[in-house]
Amino acid sequence: MSEMHSLVKRLLDGELGLAELPVELRAEGEWALRLLAAADRRDVRLGAGLDARVMAAVRRAAPEPSSAWRWIVRPFELRLAIRPWAALAAAAVLILLVVARPFGRGVPSASRAAVPESVVVRFVLYAPSAHAVSVAGSFNQWDRGATPLVPAGHSGLWAATVTLAPGQHQYAFVVDGRQWVVDPGAPAVDDGFGRRNSLITVGAPAGDKSL
Amino acid sequence: MKTLALVSILAFAGTPLAAQQGVDAQLAGRVAPDVAAAVRTLADSAMRAGLPSDPLVQKAIEGAAKGVPAPQIIAALETVLGRLDQAAAAIRAAGVAQPDAETVVAGAFAASAGMPASAVTALARVQTAKTPAAALLRIAGTLAAIGVPSPQAVSLVVAAARSGGDVTAVLDLPARVESAVARGVTPVQAAEGLARAAAHGGLPQSPGGGRGNSGSHRP
Amino acid sequence: MERPRVVREDGALDGDVVRAVLAGDVDRYAELVQRYRDKYARYAARMLGSLDAADDAVQDAFIRAYEQLAQCRDPANFAGWFFLILRNRCFAERRSSGRLGKRTSLESDPVAAPDDAGRRLEDEELRQRLQRELMELTPEQREVFVLKHIEELSYEEIAARIGGSVAALKMRMHRAYDRLRERLTREEART
Repeated sequence: MSEMHSLVKRLLDGELGLAELPVELRAEGEWALRLLAAADRRDVRLGAGLDARVMAAVRRAAPEPSSAWRWIVRPFELRLAIRPWAALAAAAVLILLVVARPFGRGVPSASRAAVPESVVVRFVLYAPSAHAVSVAGSFNQWDRGATPLVPAGHSGLWAATVTLAPGQHQYAFVVDGRQWVVDPGAPAVDDGFGRRNSLITVGAPAGDKSL
Repeated sequence: MKTLALVSILAFAGTPLAAQQGVDAQLAGRVAPDVAAAVRTLADSAMRAGLPSDPLVQKAIEGAAKGVPAPQIIAALETVLGRLDQAAAAIRAAGVAQPDAETVVAGAFAASAGMPASAVTALARVQTAKTPAAALLRIAGTLAAIGVPSPQAVSLVVAAARSGGDVTAVLDLPARVESAVARGVTPVQAAEGLARAAAHGGLPQSPGGGRGNSGSHRP
Repeated sequence: MERPRVVREDGALDGDVVRAVLAGDVDRYAELVQRYRDKYARYAARMLGSLDAADDAVQDAFIRAYEQLAQCRDPANFAGWFFLILRNRCFAERRSSGRLGKRTSLESDPVAAPDDAGRRLEDEELRQRLQRELMELTPEQREVFVLKHIEELSYEEIAARIGGSVAALKMRMHRAYDRLRERLTREEART
């Protein structure tokens, strides 16, 4: 008989004590307990070299810090033709020039990131009746007081020159401190508050040319 | 040739405690206390789900600056978190086991531009070393924001990515569509025309003079 | 299995470390590796029959756990989740070189800190014989034996860790007892 008696199995499972086995099964029970006692319960320690090997593989797999803006890899200009929006009542015409000229390292670097070459951008708004115009966006914490536009003579145009890091930014104009105006010449996205934000995509500086 | 120095727009702190302190520092003085509390709670949920929390902070600051009432800001924050979660799921559905933060945020941006999750998955699937998913998603979302319907935006981005060139073929797309629109075609017509051109051996010389030789600016 | 709240005097909770790694602080993954490198090493060694194989399996499991870290639903229970990844890796061995059936001598393996020079030769032989025979069991039978009699978990704890009902686990174990008895008594009869 090669099968283990069920009472001996229960002994091994810890459900019975040896003394509870019938006499004729005691020997088998003792043998089985000796077998269990022989199981190798010694601690196993793996070498610390394993840690190094794991971390080497993990660091290889981790994304590089500089890959964050990998999707912008060359400069390009965003030139919008002047739209025939003047016919609209509250129209604003934006002429947006992205000047692909390296500006300099104005942005403090994070510990694992590299410093961006910022790009100079000129925002222009046609708002002849306004008393004050500013631009607020993701690049200035949406602070309507941070970036005022300056009237260009009596043309009705307001303008500001801003330094932006390469990438995509959302913004809107603020007229007279309270009226949020989207840029009619730029793509717009839902802002989540029932309004829209304008979108500007800024490329990295050119290697040589400026406009 | 200047080396392109790129920085992550998402500043991750080293530990959750530091991250929370970073969140508090950014919100201090800018948002109402109940909004700040909501941001902290949602940022914690985001981090537990492996999602970036910075978009929540930025949206809260934006809402406060725009004078939006707190309940509406909090609702918008929940929408942002939902979009991040859905974007991460859509990107994982494309076979990307561990989407990085930049790609997730790009996917959420595409969603905010009206693109469905299936579009996000389709774009993430097409990504290559030269045309990373974050770029494809950002540009597709931008095309949608210009007025290109989502299916045509996806087709155009996919065609440009597969045209064999590098990511510039994709990055140029919004400008090309806008140029075409300025000449009088509708956004969908512009997109379809460009997609056909890309599928048949490459996009034509890109418009917009003054850029110099398009080939010489490659980094 | 209860969710361990692993707190160390010198370090952070597992959940916090996982979140930090997901947030980008990759270097902190080393804390988890250091914490759990040896915790399941014995299980891997007994399942696979050699220290080398255990080393490989644990290393692979840590790398895979990192790659899938965003899918860890409960970062506070990184330990349990990691165990399942390691378990899958141990079970996957049988699909490759068939190493699991090999008779591996552990005698030369510097498996553990030396504990007892006084152990009787007889018991040492029995220990090696048992390990050899364990390798002849199916991986599922071997696993329940290892978890119950080497890791010393209760059937309920085993069920919580790997799933399945207590009754099913007992059945599996009892089949293992039968096979061990059969092979060892046959071997004894030969000697």
